[in-house]
Amino acid sequence: MPVRPNADMQVEGPGWLARIAQDHARVFFFSLGKLVSQPGAALLTAAVIGIALALPAALHLAVNNFQRLAYGWQDELQLSLFLKDEVDEARGQALAESFIKRDGVKQARYLSREQTAAEFRELSGFGEVLDLLERNPLPAVIVVTPDASRSADQVEALAKELAALPEVELSQMDQQWLQRLQTLLTIVERVVLLVSALLGVAVLVIVGNTLRLDIEARRDEIEVMKLIGAPDAFIRLPFLYGGCWLGLLGSWVALLMLAVGLAVLQTPAAQLAALYHSDFAVQGPGAGTILLIIGGGVLLGVAGAWWTVSRHLAAIEPS
Amino acid sequence: MSQALVQFSQVFHRYPGGNGDVLKGVDFQLDAGEMVFLTGASGAGKSTLLRLLALLSRANRGQVVVAGNNLAQLKRGQVPLYRQQIGMIFQNFNLLNDRSVFDNVALPLVIRGYSHQDIGRRVRAALDTVGLLHRERARPATLSGGEQQRVGIARAVVTKPLLLLADEPTGNLDPVMAQEVMRLFERFNDVGVSVLVATHAIDLIERMGHRIVHLEDGRVVAGAGMEAASRLSLGVL
Repeated sequence: MPVRPNADMQVEGPGWLARIAQDHARVFFFSLGKLVSQPGAALLTAAVIGIALALPAALHLAVNNFQRLAYGWQDELQLSLFLKDEVDEARGQALAESFIKRDGVKQARYLSREQTAAEFRELSGFGEVLDLLERNPLPAVIVVTPDASRSADQVEALAKELAALPEVELSQMDQQWLQRLQTLLTIVERVVLLVSALLGVAVLVIVGNTLRLDIEARRDEIEVMKLIGAPDAFIRLPFLYGGCWLGLLGSWVALLMLAVGLAVLQTPAAQLAALYHSDFAVQGPGAGTILLIIGGGVLLGVAGAWWTVSRHLAAIEPS
Repeated sequence: MSQALVQFSQVFHRYPGGNGDVLKGVDFQLDAGEMVFLTGASGAGKSTLLRLLALLSRANRGQVVVAGNNLAQLKRGQVPLYRQQIGMIFQNFNLLNDRSVFDNVALPLVIRGYSHQDIGRRVRAALDTVGLLHRERARPATLSGGEQQRVGIARAVVTKPLLLLADEPTGNLDPVMAQEVMRLFERFNDVGVSVLVATHAIDLIERMGHRIVHLEDGRVVAGAGMEAASRLSLGVL
């Protein structure tokens, strides 16, 4: 026969929704008060959680920045077709114009032997070497810029096709290292996911252990509460809020660490980029990433609390 | 004809790892609105009987029925709701020392989700009844033993329970305070709360005129009542 509350004990006052809101408001301030009453311990735990959250977030940001850099380089990807000596300027110009009409080619520019020599003088800093030679050793070049929308395979197929032309002595494309970089970044991305999962488990354990100690410290209180009829959900709620606060505080610590790290790296990264004539700047976390860090921290905090409290509450019975 | 609120039928109980049965076929009934004293020597089974009623233990054999609920059939999730209908008072008070008197008394109402206004009204009424309204902001540790016990009583009755259980409630109190606590139980009983008090304070209860159930070696002594209790107080049993 189910337990029936006696008529006198029927709950008066607010409806169930208002009661839930009242309960949460009470526990919100109660758990916050407990946290504030022990700021040292809370900050220490939050710092550990912050490190665990900041590490994968920093790796994720690094991968994002490298990907952005690689994407920028892909726009400037060029295929250099070095022409045979017997190909005259008119034929070279005609070839370049024919390339422009090809599918997958954004731009094709013919550089005569004189132009390549001039460019070499200007950019290499070894112009005097050319003066020592009897004749200009540099060949004429057609510089082809593939359409950026083309996939790596399509660009490679185009390069092979053009390199096979009888007028072409040698072709050279800086794509291989870019592909290697992108593959490496894909691997690093996976590693970041794995590290995130492992550190997520670490956050669960940290929160769980902190709350386990809290549960032990409040064992007598829990026993009394059970004695007077508190259901597990009632006893559990302050601990869930505790986990939530720790996760939230930890995520703020993580964001602070990221901000400090970015501030430290911003200037040297910009200086390095300037050396390569690039306006690249290290990009911080976007709104989505910030929300992910905060949401992840809170979720892990609550999950860690739930996991620990559920395990320990069942073991505590009034004696 | 009175209606049984509590019914023990051939109840046996043995603690895990214990040498023998603590309760050996207890038959006992408490009617709705009745006040009963449970007496017996240490180890006779008084506290065990109260533990079974509070669902701190479950009987090994026999049946314990409270307000129509067979306690053996209550699931774990139903235990809190059952306990909410019972007020419990302990020898060691079981108060939360990091909360005020008001918060201690309010706890059962908070658990049940009463509104702030209701909580304030009921807690103050309960504290007024036990004479501690002026100490509502005090911490339990700053109160005397008698005052702490009265806070415990206020907490037990604030939800107007069906049944009030008290295990040696005067064990830590001086005679004057013990008498005051017993009078409080009578006042609650006067307004319809059933009361079951396990006690050694024979000199106190003999003047109160309520039914006495005497336990000896895990059994209810039939028709023993005051006579057996008195022999206990004289050290004969």
